Amino acid sequence: MTELDSLIQKAAGGNSEAFGRLYDMNVDRIYKHIYYRVGNTKVAEDLTQEVFLKAWQAIGRYKITATPFLAWLMRISHNLIVDSYRRKKDKIYLDDEFFVTEPSPNPEKAAEINFDKQRLRANILQLPADQQQVILMHFIEGFSYAEIASSLGKKEGAIRVIQYRALKKLRQILEKERDLR
Amino acid sequence: MEPLLKLALDIEKPGDIKPSSSYKIKARVNLMEQIHAKKMKKKWWWFNPVVGVNQPVFAGSFKILVVVVVALIVFSTIGGGTVYASRDSLPGDTLYPVKLGTERIRRTFTTDDVDRVQLELVFSNTRLREMEALANKKSSKIDKSIREYEKNIGKAIEKVEQLRDDGAPDNMSETVASAISEHQSILDRIEINVPEEAKPSIRNIKERNSNNQAGILRILAREDPVRAAKINLDATQSWLERAEAKAVESGNGEVEVALHQFEARREFGNEISQVADAENNEANAVNEMHARATSRQLEILGTIYGKVTERGKNAVERAARLSVEGHYRAIESLKKSGISDNIRERPQLPDGIPARVKERILRNVHEEPEISK
Repeated sequence: MTELDSLIQKAAGGNSEAFGRLYDMNVDRIYKHIYYRVGNTKVAEDLTQEVFLKAWQAIGRYKITATPFLAWLMRISHNLIVDSYRRKKDKIYLDDEFFVTEPSPNPEKAAEINFDKQRLRANILQLPADQQQVILMHFIEGFSYAEIASSLGKKEGAIRVIQYRALKKLRQILEKERDLR
Repeated sequence: MEPLLKLALDIEKPGDIKPSSSYKIKARVNLMEQIHAKKMKKKWWWFNPVVGVNQPVFAGSFKILVVVVVALIVFSTIGGGTVYASRDSLPGDTLYPVKLGTERIRRTFTTDDVDRVQLELVFSNTRLREMEALANKKSSKIDKSIREYEKNIGKAIEKVEQLRDDGAPDNMSETVASAISEHQSILDRIEINVPEEAKPSIRNIKERNSNNQAGILRILAREDPVRAAKINLDATQSWLERAEAKAVESGNGEVEVALHQFEARREFGNEISQVADAENNEANAVNEMHARATSRQLEILGTIYGKVTERGKNAVERAARLSVEGHYRAIESLKKSGISDNIRERPQLPDGIPARVKERILRNVHEEPEISK
C-alpha cells in the first residue's frame, strides 16, 4: 500500500491529520486547475476550499481502486465550477495576472504570440464546462484519457469525442476572430 | 486532423500559478476547524462571540461592540483574577476558552498592522509553551494548540503580505522568518518529548513552517537578500542536522523527509541568489555565503551516508549532488564578477562517501571537484 493509499484509508476512517496531509499534497494542483478555469483569485480560493470540504464529507465513500485521488478531487472541482458558472451568470472578471506575458528577444513577435495565447485562454473559458475540463486536464495538467474519463464519470471514447469537439470549436472561434481583425 | 493538432500544440502551459502562503494556511486552519467543529465543546456557549465556538459571522463594528460588551460582562462577573488564572491553562482545561477569548479581545483592540504581527508572534509563542507543557505531561492532546498556533502564524504572515501589498516598507518579514526559525528549534524539543502518536503532527507542522518561512523570505529577499539568504542557510543547515540526528536514532523514512526539506531549502537559496541578481542587490555576498556553506553541508551528508541503509544512501547522494550543483552555480556567478579568489572553487567530497558514489555525484557537474581519499 502506498503512502497515499494509507493516508486516504486513515482519512476515510476519520483521521483529520491524514486528511490534512492529503490537503497539503493536492491543494496547489487543485487551485491551479480552478484558477485556470475561472481566472479570478478570490473565486479560485473560495472554490478550492469548498472542494476539500466536500472531499472530507465524501471521503468515506471514495474507493481507492476506482479513481485516482487527484482525479476524484478534479471531479469535485468540476462540479463546483459548473455550479459557480450557473450561480454567476455575469462574467467573472479575470485577474490581470491571468494573462501572462513572457519575455522574448523579438518583442513584436512575442506580443503577437502573447495576444493569441490570451485570446486562446479566454476562448477556452467560453467552451461548455465538460469541454473546458477535458482540454485543461489533458493539455495543461497532463492527465491521461483514462484518468479524465474516471474524473468525469464517462467512458474514454466519450472523452476523445469531447476533446475533438472542443478543439474544433476553438479553431472555429479563433478563425472567426482572425477574419474580423 | 493536422490543423487541430497544431491548435492543440499551441495550447501551452500557463505560468506557475500557486495559491498564496497566507491563503493556504488560513484555508487549512479553517478546514481543520470545520472538521473538528462537531467535537468542540460548547461549555462556554454564552461566551460564543468571543471564544468563537460555532461563531456566527458578525460584520465590522457590530462585532467589536459585541466583544466589548461581552468583555465587560466577563470581567465584571468572573473578575480579573480568573482571567489571570487562565494564563497558564492548557487545552482541555476549563479556563482555556477564557485564555483564547482574552487573546481575541487583545487582537480586536490592536489596530496597527505592525503591532498585530508582533501580537500574533506572542500568541504563537504561547501555543508553543502549551505544547511543551503538554509534552512534559506526556499528553497527546496537542492538536488544539497546533491548530491555534497555525492560526497565529497564518495571521502574522497575512499581515506581512498585506503590508507588502500596501507598499509599506518591509520591516516585519525578517522578524517573522526569524521567529519561525526559533519555533522550529522548540518544535524539535517538543517532538522528542511528546508521546509517539503525537510525533507525526509535530513533524507535519515543522514541514509547513519550513514552507511558510520560504514564502516570507521571498518578501525579505527583495529588500535584503543577504539577510534572507542567512536565515535560509541556517534553516537549510538545521534540516541537515535533523537528518543526521534521525540517521542515528530511527529509520530511513524520517531521514528522507529531512533531506527532502534540506533540498527544498537549498533550491530556495538559489532562488534568493536569482532575486539578488535580478535586483542587482548584494548578489556577490549571497553567492559567497552559499559557496562557503557547501563544505559543511557535504561533511554532514558524509556522516549520514554511513548510518543509513541503501535507500537512505540514494537520498544522501541526491542531496549531495544538489549541494555541489549549487556550489558551482554560486562560484560561476562570483567568477563573472571576478571575486572568487578567496573561495575554494572545488568542493571537497567527504571521506564517508565511497569513490564510485562521488564519481556519480559529479557526473553531471561540469568541473571535477577534489576527491578526498
